[in-house]
Amino acid sequence: MREELLSVGIDLGTSTTQLVFSRLFIENMAGSYSVPRMEITGKEIQYKSHIYFTPLMDQNTIDFPKIRQIVEREYERAGVKKEEIDTGAVIITGETARKENAREVVNALSGFAGDFVVATAGPDLESVIAGKGAGTDVYSRENRRMAVNIDIGGGTSNLAAFWQGDTVDTGCLDVGGRLIRVDRDTGKVTYIAPKLLRIIEGEGFSIRLGGPFSVEGVRPLLRILVRALEQSVGLRRDCKYYELLITNHGLSPQVLGSRADKPAPSCATGAGGGEERWEPPASGTPSHTKAEWGNGEERWEPVSCVSFSGGVAAVLYHPEDYPDPLQFGDMGILLAREIRSSRLFRELRVIESAETIRATVVGAGSHTTEISGSTITYANAEFPLKNLPVLKLAREEEQPGRLAGALERKLRWFWTEGQPVRLAVALEGEANPTFVRVQEYAKELLTGLAPNLRAGLPTLVVVAQDMAKALGQTLLSMAGSGGALVCLDGIRLSEGDYIDIGRPAAGGSVLPVVVKTLVFQK
Amino acid sequence: MDEKDLRTIIEQVLSEMNVSGSAAPAVEAACAKACEAPANIEDGCIPDITEVDIRKQYLVENPEHGEEYAELKMNAPCRLGIGKAGARYKTLPQLEFRAAHSAAQDAVFNDVDEEFVKSQGLFIVQTQCDSKDTYLTRPDLGRKLSPEAVATIKEKCKKNPTVQIYVADGLSSASVAANIPDLLPAIMQGLQNYKIDVGTPFFVKFGRVAVMDEISELTGAEVTCTLIGERPGLITAESMSAYIAYKATVGMPEARRTVVSNIHRNGTIPAEAGAHIADIIKIMLEKKASGTDLKL
Repeated sequence: MREELLSVGIDLGTSTTQLVFSRLFIENMAGSYSVPRMEITGKEIQYKSHIYFTPLMDQNTIDFPKIRQIVEREYERAGVKKEEIDTGAVIITGETARKENAREVVNALSGFAGDFVVATAGPDLESVIAGKGAGTDVYSRENRRMAVNIDIGGGTSNLAAFWQGDTVDTGCLDVGGRLIRVDRDTGKVTYIAPKLLRIIEGEGFSIRLGGPFSVEGVRPLLRILVRALEQSVGLRRDCKYYELLITNHGLSPQVLGSRADKPAPSCATGAGGGEERWEPPASGTPSHTKAEWGNGEERWEPVSCVSFSGGVAAVLYHPEDYPDPLQFGDMGILLAREIRSSRLFRELRVIESAETIRATVVGAGSHTTEISGSTITYANAEFPLKNLPVLKLAREEEQPGRLAGALERKLRWFWTEGQPVRLAVALEGEANPTFVRVQEYAKELLTGLAPNLRAGLPTLVVVAQDMAKALGQTLLSMAGSGGALVCLDGIRLSEGDYIDIGRPAAGGSVLPVVVKTLVFQK
Repeated sequence: MDEKDLRTIIEQVLSEMNVSGSAAPAVEAACAKACEAPANIEDGCIPDITEVDIRKQYLVENPEHGEEYAELKMNAPCRLGIGKAGARYKTLPQLEFRAAHSAAQDAVFNDVDEEFVKSQGLFIVQTQCDSKDTYLTRPDLGRKLSPEAVATIKEKCKKNPTVQIYVADGLSSASVAANIPDLLPAIMQGLQNYKIDVGTPFFVKFGRVAVMDEISELTGAEVTCTLIGERPGLITAESMSAYIAYKATVGMPEARRTVVSNIHRNGTIPAEAGAHIADIIKIMLEKKASGTDLKL
C-alpha cells in the first residue's frame, strides 16, 4: 500500500519567486505481521514553475496581489487545486524577509496555498532547506564528509553544514548577486546594499550610486566578498569585513575547526510567540541552546566539500552560458566568476548540486515534511495545528518526581499576557518503558499541564522514542476523553523549535509534521 | 564441596585413568594439595556476553568501510561483520551464539513461574498435555483444553464478553515473564478507553495458538485474543505474538487470525504493542472480521 502526499513549495526570495509541486510517497516498511512502520519512501518533483522576479510595490513593501496572481496562475497551469494540497511550505528568504509586510505576506500566502502549508522564515531554516534542496545532505551522508552548501541568492549567502548527512550548523552572510544593481541601458549603478556602501567607504572604492559601473571597478569589492565566503567555511581568518557581512551568525568554531578565535554568536530564536502566526526570528536574541552542544566536539572533520545553490550558483556551474556580465543587470555573474577563481574552488571538493536556483523552493516543497511514528494517539484534535512553540524538557527533567514541576515552571515562560498558550511538550521518552513508567509520565504531564488544561487548551505531546500510543492512551484514560489530545513519536525536537502538525495520512496511522528547527545539534 | 566429595572425585578420576593399586597415596596427596590451596577468589567480574548489543558489535579487523558497515548494522540485529579467526568464528561471537542458543532452549523447556502468573491476576488452566514432552511432541493435544480447564473456565469466566484475552506459554516461557506485565495492562487500558467490555483473563499452560478456538466457543466472546510466547530464535528468546480472531470457531481456517508478532523489548515494545492491539480489536469489532478478511 503506497500513499501519496501532494506537497507545494513556494519561495519568495530577494530576487525571484518560484513554486514547485512534489509528491511524497508513504509506505509501510514493516512486515505484514508486525506493527506498521510508515516511512516516506520517495520524493518526486511533479511541476516546476517559471521563475519570476519577486514583485515589489517599493523598496520596502512586497506586492502581495501580484504574488497571489503568480501563485494562482501556477496552480492553474499545473492543474492543481488548493484542496488537493496535503502539505508544503512557503519560505520567505533573503532581503524579502526584511520587508515591512513580510510576515503578513508569508502568512496570508500559506493560508492561500493550502490548509497545511506552513509559513517559514529566518536565515537558519532557509539555509537548511536550500542545502537539502541542493542534495548536499545526501552527498555528505553517502561520502561521510563534512559538506557545506552555500546558497547564494540575490541578497544573502546561506550556509548549511552537513556532517554525514545530519545538519550540524547554519550560517548566513549578506553576500548576494543583486547587492549592486545596474541599469543596462545607461550603465549607471542603481542600487548598492547598505553594508557594501560601508565597505566602499572604508576602502575608498570609487563605485557609487548613480555613478558608472565598470567590471574592473567592482572587482576589488567582489574580492572582499569572496574572501568573506572563504572565511565562512574556514579557509581563512583574515577578512576584516567578515563580521560586518554576517547576517545573524556564521558557522560555529566546532564546525570550522577549533582554531577559530571567537565563538560564533548564538542563533536567534523566536521563542515565546503564543499566537497562531509564525514569528520570524529576530536576530540577536540570546539563545539557550548552543551551550549544551559545544563540549569540545572534535570528531567532526573540517569542511572538505562545498556545493553551491541559488541564482548565482547557476552561473557558477555553467559560466559559459552567461557571456554578458550584465545580463541580469546586477553583479551576480561577476560574483560567480570571482568565486570560480577563488580558494573555494581550488581547495575544496566542489560538488555538483542537485538544484541551483531552485534549491530553496525544492527544499521547501520536498524536504520540509516529515511523518510521525506509526503508533500514535490523537483524539478530538482539529488539524492542522500550526505554529506550535515547543517546550522541551531536558533529559534529567524527565525523571519521576521532577517532570511535573519542571513542566509547570517552563510553561510559564511561554505565557503571554498572563495567559497559558497552546504549545507542544517535547520529551525524549524511554526506549522500553514499563507500563508503570508510562503511567508516571502521563500523570506528571497532566499535573504539569494543568494550567493549560484548565484553559481548555489541547494536550500536545511529542516523544522521540516509540511510546506515543501507550502514553497517549494513558493520558486519555487519566484525563477523560473530552479534551483534544495529540501524542506522537518519532520526532525529536529542540528548545526553540516550532512544529506544525497536519491531517492524518496513510489511513490515519501517521501525522505529517513540519519542524521549523532553528537549532542543530547531535 | 567438602573434602569427602573431593576425595571421591579424585578416586574416581584416577580409577578411570587406570592408575593401579598404589592410587591411595596419590589420592591423599592430590586431595591434600587441593584442600590446602588458598581459595583464591578474585574481585573482578566476567563480562556478561548476553549484554552485548549485536547491532553495535562490529569486529572486522582493518575494514575498508568499517564506519559505513557499522551504521548499516544498526538497522537490524544480525550476526554480520563479526570477523573471523581463520575459517571460524572469533571466540566472543561463538560464545554469544551458544548463549543465545541456551536462552532459546531455556525459554522452550522451562515452565512459566506460577507465582508470577498469579501476581498478574491470572488463574491457570492446562491443555490436554500433561508435560513439556507431550506438549512438544503432540501439538494436537496443545490445542485442546483438559476437562478440568473447561470446568474452571466455565466457572470463573464472565459469559459472552465482547473480548476475551488469555495468555499462553506457547514456545517461550521467558516471553510471558518479559512482556505480560506491560502488554496486558496496556491492552486493558486501551479497551477501557473505548469502553469495550473485556472478560476474565487467565493463563493456559502448554497452550498452542489454536486452543483459542475452543476458548472462544466456551466463553462466547466476540473477539478472542491470545498472547503467546513465540518460538525463540537466536536474536531473542522473549518474543511474543498476539493472535486475534473475530468469532473464532474450532476448525476454522488459520487465515482468520490476525497476528501482531515480534513483541519484545528490542522489537515492538510491549506497552506500545498493547496500545496498538487495543486499536486492532476495536477495528475488528467495527468491521466484524479478522485475519485476511480484515484490511487494517
